[in-house]
Amino acid sequence: MALDSLDPRVNRLDISEDSLSTLVAKGNLDQFETYEAFVQVKDSKPFEHVGPVHAPNEEMAFLFAKEQYSRRGMFCNALCVIKTENIKASHFTDNGQDVYDTLHTEASGEEKESFELFHLMKRGKQHKYAGHVMARDYDDALAAAKTLYQGVKPVFNIWVVKSEDILSTDEEDRDIWETLKEKQYREAIDYRAQDKIKAFKEAQSAQA
Amino acid sequence: MNTEALKDLLYKMADDQLILGHRNSEWTGFGPLLEEDIAFSSMAQDKVGQSWQLYKILNDLGESDPDTVAFMRNADQFHNCQLVELPNGEYDFSLIRHFLFDTAELIRFTMLANSSYEPLALLAKKIKGEIKYHKMHADIWIKQLGSATEESIERLQESFNIAFPYALGIFEPSQMEEEIINEGLFEGEEKLKAAWLAKVSEIIDKTSLTLPEASLQTPVYGGRYGTHTDNLQPLLDEMSEVFKMDPAADW
Repeated sequence: MALDSLDPRVNRLDISEDSLSTLVAKGNLDQFETYEAFVQVKDSKPFEHVGPVHAPNEEMAFLFAKEQYSRRGMFCNALCVIKTENIKASHFTDNGQDVYDTLHTEASGEEKESFELFHLMKRGKQHKYAGHVMARDYDDALAAAKTLYQGVKPVFNIWVVKSEDILSTDEEDRDIWETLKEKQYREAIDYRAQDKIKAFKEAQSAQA
Repeated sequence: MNTEALKDLLYKMADDQLILGHRNSEWTGFGPLLEEDIAFSSMAQDKVGQSWQLYKILNDLGESDPDTVAFMRNADQFHNCQLVELPNGEYDFSLIRHFLFDTAELIRFTMLANSSYEPLALLAKKIKGEIKYHKMHADIWIKQLGSATEESIERLQESFNIAFPYALGIFEPSQMEEEIINEGLFEGEEKLKAAWLAKVSEIIDKTSLTLPEASLQTPVYGGRYGTHTDNLQPLLDEMSEVFKMDPAADW
C-alpha cells in the first residue's frame, strides 16, 4: 500500500509502506574533513569561532558554514573557514593563569610567514580573533604574539593559523547577508492546520 | 513612460520568482543534506519575497494587490518561463535549474540597477545581495558535483541537457521588447542572453560538464504569454490552497 500523508509532496513520491521496513543498511560512511567556522557580527567586532562543519573542500565548507552558522540582517558581516588540521592549539591553562606566562621561548624575529591568532578568554566561551604576527613557524608565532598581544586579562588557550589557510568572505561580497526587511509574507499565523490534522487522523483510524 | 511595456517586464520577472520560489520550497524537509535543505528553503523565501516586491510595484501601477495576483490567476495568465514550473525532479535537476536561472537573474538585476524606472532600479539594488548569494551557492555546488564522481557528472550532464532548451526560454523576447529597451527600462533579453552564456560557460569550463551547443537548440518559448506545461496548474492549486480557504484572512 502506498504511504498516505497530509503532505502532498510525500504522496507524490509514491512510497510503498512496505519499503519503509526494508531499509538497506549503509556501508561504512566516508567522512568529510572538518573545518572550523568563524563569524564576524559587525565590522567593529572580532571574528569569533562558531563551530565545525564537515565538507569535501574549503569552498563547500564556506557554504555549509553560511547556512549553518550565519543569519542575515544585522547578524553577520563576514564569515571565514579554516581546515581544523591547520589550526595549531597551545595547551590550556586554568585558575586565572595566563597561557602566555607559560611560554618562555624567545621570538626569532624572522618574518617568514604570516600567522593569525585566536584567544580563548573564558573557559566555555569561543575563541576570538586577537591579531596577526609574522614569524618563522607556529611556535615562533606564539612567542611573537606574547610580546604583541599579552594583555592584562589572562588567555587560557591560543589558536595559531597561517593566514593563507583562511578562506574569508571577499570584501565586495559582504552584501550576501543583506536581505529585504519585509517578511510578513512568511507568517502563517492564520492557517489553522489543527482541524485538518484531526480530520486526517480520524480518517486514518477509521480505515485501520 | 510606456506603462504597458513596464508591466510586461515586471510580470514575467515576478512570476518567475514566485513559481521558482514555490518549487524551491518543495525541498523543505526533503533536502539531500541538512545544509541544502536550509539553503533551498531560504532561497525560496528570498524569491517569494522578491516577487512580492515586484507585485507591489505592479499594484502601484494599478494592478490588483499582490496576494490576489499571486493566488487568483490561472496557469494561462502566468508569464513565467516554463523552466521554473518544471517539477523538481531529483536534486541534480533542481541544482542545474537553480544554476541556469540564478546566473541569468544576477545579470538581469545588475542591469536593472540602471533602469530608467526608479522604483525598479531601487529594488534591484536592494536584492543584489540575495541574488548574489544564490549564484554563489549554485556555482560552488556545480563546480563540486560537476567534477566529483562519474555518477554525479553523468547525472548533472543529463539534467543539463534537458534543462538547457528551457533555460533559453528565459530570454523569450517580449512583444514590447523594443519599447522596453528604447525607454531604458531594461537592456533587453538578447543582451542578457549573451552575457548569461558567457557566465554559464565560465563555471562549466571548470567542471567535467559540457555546455550544449546553444545554436543547435530550440528554445522553449510560450511561457511569457500563457503557454505552460501541465505542471503549472497543479502547482498553483497547491500554492493557493490556504489563501482560497479564507481570502479575507489577515496574515
